[in-house]
Amino acid sequence: MHLILQGVRQAFELLIKGDAATYDIALRSLEVAAAALAIALVVGVPLGGALALSRFPGRRFLVVLVNTGMGAPPVAVGLIVALFLWRTGPLGGLNIIYTVRAMIIAQVLIALPIVIGLTLAAMQQLDEGLRLQILALGAGRWRLFILLLREARVPLLAAVMAAFGAVISEVGAVMMVGGNIEGQTQVLTTAIMQDTSMGDFAAALALVVILLLLAFSTNYAMTLIQQRGQKAT
Amino acid sequence: MEEVAQSLNEGLALPATLAARDLVVARAGRELVRVERFTVAAGEVHVILGSNGAGKTTLLRALNGLAKAEGDLIFEGRPVRTGRDRLRLRRRTAMVLQQAYLLATTVRGNVESGLRLRDVAGPDLRRRADAALDLLGITHLADRRRDGLSGGEAQRVSIARALAVDPAVIFLDEPMASLDPPTRRSLIADLREIFARSSTAVVWVTHDTDEALAIGDRVSFMADGRIVQAGGIAEVFNNPASSAVADYLGIDVWLEGVVETGDNGANRFLLPGGAVLHCVADRSGPAFACIHPEDVLLLRQRPQPGDASLRNVLPATVVSLHPAGRSWLVRLEWAGGRLDALLTRAACEDLSVSPGERLYAAVKATAIRVVPRRQGGVGKGFVDA
Repeated sequence: MHLILQGVRQAFELLIKGDAATYDIALRSLEVAAAALAIALVVGVPLGGALALSRFPGRRFLVVLVNTGMGAPPVAVGLIVALFLWRTGPLGGLNIIYTVRAMIIAQVLIALPIVIGLTLAAMQQLDEGLRLQILALGAGRWRLFILLLREARVPLLAAVMAAFGAVISEVGAVMMVGGNIEGQTQVLTTAIMQDTSMGDFAAALALVVILLLLAFSTNYAMTLIQQRGQKAT
Repeated sequence: MEEVAQSLNEGLALPATLAARDLVVARAGRELVRVERFTVAAGEVHVILGSNGAGKTTLLRALNGLAKAEGDLIFEGRPVRTGRDRLRLRRRTAMVLQQAYLLATTVRGNVESGLRLRDVAGPDLRRRADAALDLLGITHLADRRRDGLSGGEAQRVSIARALAVDPAVIFLDEPMASLDPPTRRSLIADLREIFARSSTAVVWVTHDTDEALAIGDRVSFMADGRIVQAGGIAEVFNNPASSAVADYLGIDVWLEGVVETGDNGANRFLLPGGAVLHCVADRSGPAFACIHPEDVLLLRQRPQPGDASLRNVLPATVVSLHPAGRSWLVRLEWAGGRLDALLTRAACEDLSVSPGERLYAAVKATAIRVVPRRQGGVGKGFVDA
């Protein structure tokens, strides 16, 4: 119990005093997660929408792939990305292994199936009649897509939150492709792992508090957006 | 193509806004709809009537460019063939479905949505939305969101949204089916007036015969993916071409005329030939008078004038007799046109009814069902675009 209290106290001390190293780690976590999420959304939402609105041979197989990807173990993704980016690997020439960029790439691959899969589900639960009504109002493909996205914004924001939660709390892949280099590629999750393995439970707990605060505040903001205009029940 | 357009216009008072010939909709090798000819002209309400599964909705979606179809479709004199043509068709027409399908915004936002999608902006957008809101009597709801609306209000918003774009054709697919009877009656009455004042062509899909009579000028009766009978509304209702149509429409006689409401409930139904029927109605104006053959009593002699319950006594001539189950359907002619009476065999023998015979047909005023109908007429656009 003493250990936990000490950890919490230390966490707030670090936060209030503005410990540079701690802020640096937290900021990098946020930066990597936000970049990965942004890329995954830009790529994944149109793909999920296209998958929901079109019919072509092999579509069902793609849907199965996406759904499998939603549950893919991060370590597997980490290993594959590491193999590709390894100095002697196919993309070794890019020379980005053990950099923030490599971490973003790995996290994009983790978030992308979640974004595609949940966008697909969100769009598919819309009524077919709504799609026809929007077309009859005079929408072309693009504006149909935009209007349907707006109609599906509640489940779509759930997709954003799920994807953000997956990347901010992920540790295996960023460890493998980032290397947990202090001051360069160390993020909250990898720092927690390191502190814990070195027996510095108080420091680890402080970082956990920061991680939870980060997750809570971003989800709080997104929930506010999501529930805007919804009737209180 | 010009030839097709011309031949489709044959026999029409006005050139068709939308015309289809040999339209076939097939899915997965199965033919769902095959229609030889369908037209709708400016200012006209063409009702597509039939039971569930007859192919009415499928035909509507082929007509408004939402579904691909084989055959000729001509809109405003130009063929509709490619996806681009269908988009043009969709941008000049509007659709109202059974459900309102309002977008997640305010009532005004919804009414503006069709205009925005057709690139109307600025003061024009506001003015046309205002006009459409006013037309449907929902100006007071403009700032409400969709969640708080009743079914009837939501459907009014959907219709205002469709009319705001001033469509060349408005397609309505069972627009009254989810509304309760009072809401339905008031909305139909409003639409009757709105359509009478405008030049928009209307395609109205319904399974409800009363609705067809109340709103339609022409009707196409559909069964098994085909139009089995088409024509003027009274013409089709009075002369079903087959027993299948007759089973659906019933064997009532429909007379077109005008209701004249008098003092102390003394209402008269005036027929084109100058004939008059006493009836019960709460509103004057154009209407159908429906007389069910079972409500017609045939008499050899004019009854005593003191009998108050028999308000209408019509001298009539027997035209023909038709077996109808265990009874006979006696077709008569009188000053107001047609009249049918359903008699038991015994009654027929008793009266020795035969063609050419002159009899008296008695119908109670309360037995005549009066259905208000729309006033014909070609006006301007809804929102004076």
